[in-house]
Amino acid sequence: MEIQDMPQTSITASSMLKDDKFGNNGVEMAVPGSEEEIADILHKANENGKKIAIISGGTKRGYGGLKNDYDILLSLAQYKGVVEHTAGDMTVTVRPGTTIKELQDFLREFDQMASIDPAWPEQATIGGVIAANESGPKRMKYGSARDLVIGLRVAYPDGTVIRTGGKVVKNVAGYDMNKLFIGSMGTLGVITEVTMKLRPVPKCESLVKLFVSKEQLEDLKTFVVQIQDSMIEPASLELVNPALSKKLFNRDVYTLLVAFEDVENSVRYQEKWIEDNKLSGMDMDVSSQTEAQAFWNAFSKVSPNSLTDDEVNSTRAVIKIGSKNLDVFEWLAEAETLQTKNMTIKMHGGLGHGITNAICTGNESEVKQAIERIRSRAEDRKGYAIVKHLPYALRHEIDVWGKKPAYFFLFEGIKKKNDPNNTLNHKRFAGGI
Amino acid sequence: MAKSLAAQLKESAPPCADASPSNYLFKDHPDENKWADCVHCGMCLESCPTYLETGKEQHSPRGRVHLIKSVAEGQISVNEHFADPVFQCLDCRACTTACPADVDVGGLIEEARGQVRKAIPLKGWKGAVSGFFLKGLFPHPDRMRTVSGLLKFYQKSGLQSAVRKTGALKIMPSHLADMEAIMPKVKQPVQKKYKDYKFIPAKGNPKARVAMLTGCIMDVMFSDINESTINVLTHNDNDVVLPKNQTCCGALHVHAGDRDMGRKLAKQNIEAFQEEGKVVVNAAGCGCALKEYPELFKDDPEWKAKAEVFSDKVEDISKYLYDTGYEKPKSTVNKKITYHDACHLAHGQGVRHEPRQLLQDIPGVEYTEMANADTCCGSAGIYNITNPDMAGAVLERKMENVPEEVEMISMGNPGCMLQMALGVQKYGRRSEIVHTVQLLDWAYQKDKENIAANQKAITMKG
Amino acid sequence: MFRSKRKRQTRKDVHVAQLEAIVGPTEILYEREDLLSYDCDGFTVHKAMPKAVVFPKNTEEVAAIVRYCSVHNLPFLARGAGTGLSGGAIPLNGEVIISLGKMRNLLSVDYENRQAVVQPGFVNLKLTNSISNKGYYYAPDPSSQYVCTIGGNVAENAGGAHCLKYGVTTNHILGLEVVLPNGEIIEISEDGIPDSPGYDLMGLLTGSEGTLGIVTKITVRILKNPQGKQTVLAYFDNVEDGSRAVSGIISAGIVPAALEMMDKTAIEGVEAGAYPVGHPDDIEALLLIEVDGIIAGIDEQIDEILTVCKSRNVREVKVAESEEERGKWWANRKTGFGAMGAISPDYLVQDGVIPRSKLPEVLRRIKEISEESGLRIANIFHAGDGNLHPLILFDSRVPGETEKALEAGTACLKACADVGGSITGEHGVGIEKKEEMRFIFTDEELEAQTRIREVFNPDDLLNKGKLFPTPSRCMDVKKVIKDTVAVK
Repeated sequence: MEIQDMPQTSITASSMLKDDKFGNNGVEMAVPGSEEEIADILHKANENGKKIAIISGGTKRGYGGLKNDYDILLSLAQYKGVVEHTAGDMTVTVRPGTTIKELQDFLREFDQMASIDPAWPEQATIGGVIAANESGPKRMKYGSARDLVIGLRVAYPDGTVIRTGGKVVKNVAGYDMNKLFIGSMGTLGVITEVTMKLRPVPKCESLVKLFVSKEQLEDLKTFVVQIQDSMIEPASLELVNPALSKKLFNRDVYTLLVAFEDVENSVRYQEKWIEDNKLSGMDMDVSSQTEAQAFWNAFSKVSPNSLTDDEVNSTRAVIKIGSKNLDVFEWLAEAETLQTKNMTIKMHGGLGHGITNAICTGNESEVKQAIERIRSRAEDRKGYAIVKHLPYALRHEIDVWGKKPAYFFLFEGIKKKNDPNNTLNHKRFAGGI
Repeated sequence: MAKSLAAQLKESAPPCADASPSNYLFKDHPDENKWADCVHCGMCLESCPTYLETGKEQHSPRGRVHLIKSVAEGQISVNEHFADPVFQCLDCRACTTACPADVDVGGLIEEARGQVRKAIPLKGWKGAVSGFFLKGLFPHPDRMRTVSGLLKFYQKSGLQSAVRKTGALKIMPSHLADMEAIMPKVKQPVQKKYKDYKFIPAKGNPKARVAMLTGCIMDVMFSDINESTINVLTHNDNDVVLPKNQTCCGALHVHAGDRDMGRKLAKQNIEAFQEEGKVVVNAAGCGCALKEYPELFKDDPEWKAKAEVFSDKVEDISKYLYDTGYEKPKSTVNKKITYHDACHLAHGQGVRHEPRQLLQDIPGVEYTEMANADTCCGSAGIYNITNPDMAGAVLERKMENVPEEVEMISMGNPGCMLQMALGVQKYGRRSEIVHTVQLLDWAYQKDKENIAANQKAITMKG
Repeated sequence: MFRSKRKRQTRKDVHVAQLEAIVGPTEILYEREDLLSYDCDGFTVHKAMPKAVVFPKNTEEVAAIVRYCSVHNLPFLARGAGTGLSGGAIPLNGEVIISLGKMRNLLSVDYENRQAVVQPGFVNLKLTNSISNKGYYYAPDPSSQYVCTIGGNVAENAGGAHCLKYGVTTNHILGLEVVLPNGEIIEISEDGIPDSPGYDLMGLLTGSEGTLGIVTKITVRILKNPQGKQTVLAYFDNVEDGSRAVSGIISAGIVPAALEMMDKTAIEGVEAGAYPVGHPDDIEALLLIEVDGIIAGIDEQIDEILTVCKSRNVREVKVAESEEERGKWWANRKTGFGAMGAISPDYLVQDGVIPRSKLPEVLRRIKEISEESGLRIANIFHAGDGNLHPLILFDSRVPGETEKALEAGTACLKACADVGGSITGEHGVGIEKKEEMRFIFTDEELEAQTRIREVFNPDDLLNKGKLFPTPSRCMDVKKVIKDTVAVK
């Protein structure tokens, strides 16, 4: 298949070099156009003791990292495009610099999609999304990167390029090496190609919004349990706190976002199920097809990223909280107690997957305090709180990854075996890896 | 040491010594064709009660097959370490049902046991118990009847309750004491009762003539079930013959590895039923054994042919009734009932649906299916006497599956009935244990009483 | 409790005595006769005797055993039900086998958070049976699910009939407790919380065939039963039309719960087997397609499937009219392997995966292989996920035919690898396909994997000699491959 030429994004890597607010900057910048070039850059840097930071769309510069003076900033933004797509196989192979939107637009021609809905699809690239293991509300139905990626090509720091997994959707030959690189924050190798399994674009989609007063939060929990226990199959059950609801809907209430994606009869049936079963006092609103799509697009932009966060008067932090599914309720309730007049927390969490995002905006010390309190509560609940967006300076004060697990020595061992010279994204990852 | 014993035997030119590496030293050894189909897939594991209990491969069907094959390949000898897993098998045949390749594990086990018993004769307590029941008692109807008389005397005399009160039973091994507590009330054996009958005539126009295996323990300890079987058969227009020369089916002997005695009994039964066209059996274990007689004569073509003719005539009572038609009772038996599949009925003969249908055709019966209804109860012939710990553990697992609310547990095998009765008593349950034909008989009896009562009413009116 | 009082014939060595001290006298086997049952798993070509088999009752005992082995340089491996088809649990190096058969409990079920915690020896199907009264199930359903354990499923990353829509084991594992080869106990994603910070050790461990650690507790995702399901059966006069229909269904935007294909030889087998359906004997391919989900949406999808089939020259297509009919079709399909016994004395099954679109090409190649070898090959194909099971029919009594069958099997895997596929979709590599790993991985790629093993298992005491080709033992490996036979 022909390699697709795609329009370039408006933000070029060079413009990022001027901005130091989020760190992870390099002295020199390399913009390779081929896998060989990438391997070559890595090999030379590795030989010469140079440190490399990897960047692509540039949305995650605020995500971890304690350095701002890497020798080379390796930008994959130009290394993009679809390498192979066979519609009948429902798989696509794509280069890391391709943005999510570019990929989805390409696939839409074939009524197919990569079933992943991370934030900022116009800016975030597939390489970055996979390296950071980013996911969105529809993870409930479709899973996350680890469920979609079936193969990768990866360049190791010594310049060796390997293929992990393959082009087939079912494969148990050898270790599942894809998993090693998903979420590894570019600390083990540079992803040069991604092969994913695809889904058909749903024939019909709709979004049911349930608005629920603060007093009725417990009722909503009962209802969510009822939904989970029914046989309806929502694609998302995302709970939005009043602060975020206010921004999105101008309503100071909790909002439950229930997405349905299926054939039309099924979607209508499920909408009706919600209508018939919701508890009294819950206000329901249905958006269908394009309206729903437009909403999710807007929703994908609720968290700031390092390209958009130009706040100078206040500090912004985005925290990814991992908990048991229904503990999302606890987290949203917690947000109410943590907010102050100088610091707001916009929060949303998936009741089908247990990932909550907290967007804290306000005065620096209160943001820091909120992070610490959230983290300690999360760790009490055997979960975690990763600060996935935070200005560089503050990252030296707060360990964005939280406490090291007991098995941290395995992380160190993996890093050492694969990147013994700490060539790649040094100090970017958990425990200072 | 067992190993050196086997070696000695081999040196002293055993009957089938040849150049093969096989460590089976006697005739009638496990048949290679039976294990050739086993691909070691393991689908049998979870069906095996002893594997579930021990979690150990050698106590699983595929493990046992592997060991049996290993002896033939000369890798191990027939010794105590081989005998243990081979004799821990309950012979429940659940593995045969589970096996995608139809490997006859039960047949292999019995052949292997034959080899073990010849190489290592039983000694001590187990030998005594086994010898007493298997050699001294079951094959001798007259002796069985004497025991029956004694048992009756024991029960009637009040000695039983006296013994129970004094706790004298405690001197017996504890599991024998358990058994004693659930001994059924003994009535008169049907062989004695119908001693002077050529056949017991059908109630209406006879549609068929059937012979009945009265069994050894069955007719002594469960003669009321034999009685019910006769009633149900005659009620459904069958003439019933009780051939006099019949004897114990030999199942327990074959299970215990005494295949020679098994063959002797088989021959006697084949001859006793020679004139009959249909042989109805109400004990699943016996029925299964009769159906498997040809297996015992695999090296004897003449008897094998006779055994094949014979085994084709054998039918479980529930299947016979189901296939030839039976009258649905009109009177109600208002009971909550569940059904336990005797291994040798479900796995051994493939009879599952028929008894359930019989039960559900009785008006008023509230039927509940038991979870894992076809897993062994641990009775397995005299296994509960020889391997009490394992039998107890298997029983415990079984009782966990008996629904709390049932009033009766129905089944088609006397051994199971004793074991399940033990279970009911041991775990403080209230369910009664009944044979499926007993229930049907009771319903028919009620029909009869109702008709009589109606006639009386009509007569009185008139 | 069930230990019989028999005489010991083997003098207990010091290691056995020490291991016995950990698990207790009834939970260790070391006599030759007892060990014999552990000389292989579901792959019977290669056999080796373990040093001992131990039956720990809890994680601490597992850890103590592992620590002991690690300190004393004793090779060891973990075993579940021993149903693996590639020899992953065979003690090649005289290992101490750690049987997890005594750790077979369902520890907890949390319906609200849709997860359950099980011990590794818990049987796959038992999980579904334990939660079905509330309308839940555990999705991965390998055909051995009646007996295989979830611990084994994690080790092999087991698949099942419903992979296409629901994924394989790795997609359903939320948390693991693991005893590392040094005896340390670690807990990954405690409470089943996803995305735990750091490298995805859970993803690496799942499917590592027991070479990275011993899983002692597993948190799995449970799902609500679909509201409805419907099944379609379609007959085709040529394989190409059948495979085009498969692509057509997928391209129509339908995600079937299952999509199975059988070719003419396979149909001949199933019709001669225990569960014949009455398929016509002159068709070249059949498809069995199942759709599940919200009842209101199923008819629409079925209609579309019928349309697609008709546009691909289907000879006959029908929808199951009753649960009984549906059951009959599935029984016919699911007993497919065993049914080959009815038309051939022996068969060898392979487990290749290909991109769906390469199906006609690969089937042509398999036909050539069949002609070259003079052996019939039946094809049973999980068309939905591209997992092909060529069944090579042969008669081991004919001299040379076994070797021919083995060569044909390897050639089929090569054909899959050549179109960008894989040598195993669900059976694993184990001992069986170590050498074929070279069909799909370069030396560098293999080395990248062994580097990971070195991190977890630096002394290579845990399940040594599995999964990766051993260069120095190349000849041995070749021999093993040559001997690879699955007899009926």
